[in-house]
Amino acid sequence: MAFEKIKLPFNLSVVILFGLIMLSLQLMSSAMQESSQLSAMYSWLLLFNALGSVVLLILVGANIYSLIQHTKRREAGSRLTTRMVSLFVVLALAPAVIVFYFSMQFLHQGIDSWFNVEIDRAMEDALELSQASLDQRMRWHLKQTQQLTDRLEDSSESLVTMEIENLRELSGASEMTLFSRQGRIIASSSINPSDILPSLPDEHIWLQLRQNSEYVAVAPFHEEELMIRVIVTVKAREPQYLQALYPVPVRIADLADSVEFAFVRYQEMNFLRNSLKMSFSLALSLVLLMSLSAAIWVAFINIRNIIAPVKELVKGTQAVASGQYDQQLPVIAQDDLGFLVESFNDMTHRIAVARDETRQAGVEVENQRAYLETILANLTAGVISVDALYKIRTANQAAYRIFHIHVNQFIGRTLVELVEGYAELAEPLKSIQRLLEQADDIWQQRIAFLGPNGRQELLCRGTPLFSQDGQRVGAVVVFDDVTDLIQAQKNAAWGEVARRLAHEIKNPLTPIQLSAERLQHKLADKLGPTDANILKRSTQTIVQQVEAMKEMVDDFSEYAKPSKKQTVNIDLPKMVQEVLALYALKSGVKFKADYETGLLIINGDPVSIRQVLHNLIKNALEAIDAHGLIEISLHRVQKNNTDFIEIALYDDGPGIKDEQIEKIFEPYVTTKAKGTGLGLAIVKKIIEEHGGAIWIDTSRKVGAGFIIQLPASNSEQL
Amino acid sequence: MINKIPILVKNFCLSTFLCGVLLWCLPFSGYADEFAAEVKQAEVTLHGDYYLLSADIVYQLSEKAMEALQNGVPLFWDIQFKVLEQRDVLWDKTLVDTAIRYRLQYHALLNMYRVRDEGDGTVYNFSTLFAALDLMSTVRDFRLIGGLSELAPEKQYLLAMKVNFDRDALPLPLRPIAYVDRQWYLSSDWTLWPLKK
Repeated sequence: MAFEKIKLPFNLSVVILFGLIMLSLQLMSSAMQESSQLSAMYSWLLLFNALGSVVLLILVGANIYSLIQHTKRREAGSRLTTRMVSLFVVLALAPAVIVFYFSMQFLHQGIDSWFNVEIDRAMEDALELSQASLDQRMRWHLKQTQQLTDRLEDSSESLVTMEIENLRELSGASEMTLFSRQGRIIASSSINPSDILPSLPDEHIWLQLRQNSEYVAVAPFHEEELMIRVIVTVKAREPQYLQALYPVPVRIADLADSVEFAFVRYQEMNFLRNSLKMSFSLALSLVLLMSLSAAIWVAFINIRNIIAPVKELVKGTQAVASGQYDQQLPVIAQDDLGFLVESFNDMTHRIAVARDETRQAGVEVENQRAYLETILANLTAGVISVDALYKIRTANQAAYRIFHIHVNQFIGRTLVELVEGYAELAEPLKSIQRLLEQADDIWQQRIAFLGPNGRQELLCRGTPLFSQDGQRVGAVVVFDDVTDLIQAQKNAAWGEVARRLAHEIKNPLTPIQLSAERLQHKLADKLGPTDANILKRSTQTIVQQVEAMKEMVDDFSEYAKPSKKQTVNIDLPKMVQEVLALYALKSGVKFKADYETGLLIINGDPVSIRQVLHNLIKNALEAIDAHGLIEISLHRVQKNNTDFIEIALYDDGPGIKDEQIEKIFEPYVTTKAKGTGLGLAIVKKIIEEHGGAIWIDTSRKVGAGFIIQLPASNSEQL
Repeated sequence: MINKIPILVKNFCLSTFLCGVLLWCLPFSGYADEFAAEVKQAEVTLHGDYYLLSADIVYQLSEKAMEALQNGVPLFWDIQFKVLEQRDVLWDKTLVDTAIRYRLQYHALLNMYRVRDEGDGTVYNFSTLFAALDLMSTVRDFRLIGGLSELAPEKQYLLAMKVNFDRDALPLPLRPIAYVDRQWYLSSDWTLWPLKK
């Protein structure tokens, strides 16, 4: 398993590290035994361990510094590492410090307990006893030697050698020598005949001898042996000195040596007490420091390894939070954290898949929306949707075409708000708004208004929108510009009427007329003058009425025909002038023409427009009964960014009654006894076919006034 | 007689290098201090085929060293001698490296100081510390080198001497202190002088 492969070398290295530390500390501990061969290496081992501790402390310090830096930077996992390390340090440090403290206590007390006043005194007494014992022996040998000098005083120089030999044997000394005042050997005797040269006193002894005239001291001799050296002055002779060396019995020497050894050892130990304590404390501290540093360092490495997946997880989570779902974390270990990492990887994978699907769905929805918008935009019907507060949410291109308001200006505003900028749309917009507010169900309404292109008729259909819980969330209004359709329907209806008139009425008229004329022709001669006269008048009436009927039918035919046959640019002032010129000869009528400067050109069928002018002027002439004033004015006006040419025609006749104003433009409506009632209807038809509008100027109180607005031609070319 | 030339006033350039090499080789060697021993006088005499060295050394025992001695702690000194062959490129070659090792100990029973020459095992007993140190201070006719035949006439030779207090021979508990306490810095510096043929 990968896990085993990664884990094993690390564990092995830790075991090796701790093994080395243990070995080093064990060596140091062994070296502390005086008898150990490692004792000579103690300083080096101490130094090595101290350096090891320093290295480990530096490692721990570097780790702590690094951890602090990471924590300051708020890096992932740093706080968890800090907590775990702190916990470990506290858990490891507390018992170690307690053990250390009590160990030190026991150590110090233990060492102190080795030494006490009684042992101290006993040791000193033992040494003193030894010294007293030797002292007594020395004094005894001194006395003995002094007594021997008496015998020497009597002996002659020639016999002195013999005498010394005797004295030595007598006294039990191992060596006896007689020195002259200058230190020259006069005679000597030794227990060991091979010793030719006797033991010579040194300068210090001579000095002491000259001062005190005798000398006695114990001195080591040949390493192990102790000798009592006694030197006394032989008084009788020229000052001479007798030196006698008495061996200290082996048993006493051994005992004294033993006592001295023990005393010295004790003395040394007592002297080294504090150093010993310090030394043990140092060793113990090093053991604690090294093992703790190593443990903390290993803890750092282990915790870092444990935290590594958590760190990766945090980074991964942050990446996921920032929208990177492709994050896949490495699975370092097959433990619980490894399982967590695997689960995280699964989760991010699933999220990534879900995100892709959502994105795909979003794209599809967007496509769908774009498709719907395209359809909406290309609909001929205008579509406006509003929210619960009647603010417009969507509007399509057709709405713009119908209302001539840019789509962008729709969004976020209510219909009423739009009225402020577009006064001419006040009527339809307010109507729609009112209907939206009032209607709880699908509604349909035809709304007519004078738009920028003249009179427009809209077929509006509104559908309120409800949420699932029944709350009203808005509405959709669909509206069609049915102006042309209505016009076409009207035209078709009138065309049908004309066709029927031609077919059903006009056809019988000719036989009626011919029959009436034949009756006149055949019966005129056969009847009396009175009857003949009646016949004649009746026949004339029939013929006249038939003629009138024919004219009426012709007018209908004319009305039913499309007027906008061939469109050209028409210079309106010029045409008005030409038309007025035909009526200028009429006496009693005054014409007043008022033209605005500049080009007043429309695009239309000149014959139809001329007919409009004729019809209106004839109408006015009839109204004023050939006496009065007719005013014609031409202006350029602007509505909804579109230029119109306005033709205003006023007379000072009796005017139009209010009840007739609404129906004046419909066929068969007339105020005159004579006339078909089609004149104004034809005018209206022609004007509307040219995209214009005609209405009665109700503001004028005298006579009648007609206002015509025709779209100005875009091209200024005639 | 050859006058001692202190290391600091040596005027040939190799001395600095030599000094560096010696200090590097012996990191725990002498330390110029108030308690350091000092080679007061030294002379090399040519006696027949032999070079014999005589020197006088001054020991300055610190209070702590004295106290340790009085409490039965034996103290060890090595009087080290070296004959070095000076080389231009390489470091100096050591021809002779020898030492006299003394052990000084106080004997409480007899109230005397015992000096033992560790080389031949000779023991000297003294009733005063001064007398004991006096023995250790005097080097007389120490045979350094075999003879003139061992020295090439065209080469330069240096003689180096140092009194080294052996801290590693101290009782174990004292050793860590001895390495950090100036009172235990009892060794002298190396003293160098050229060897005349």
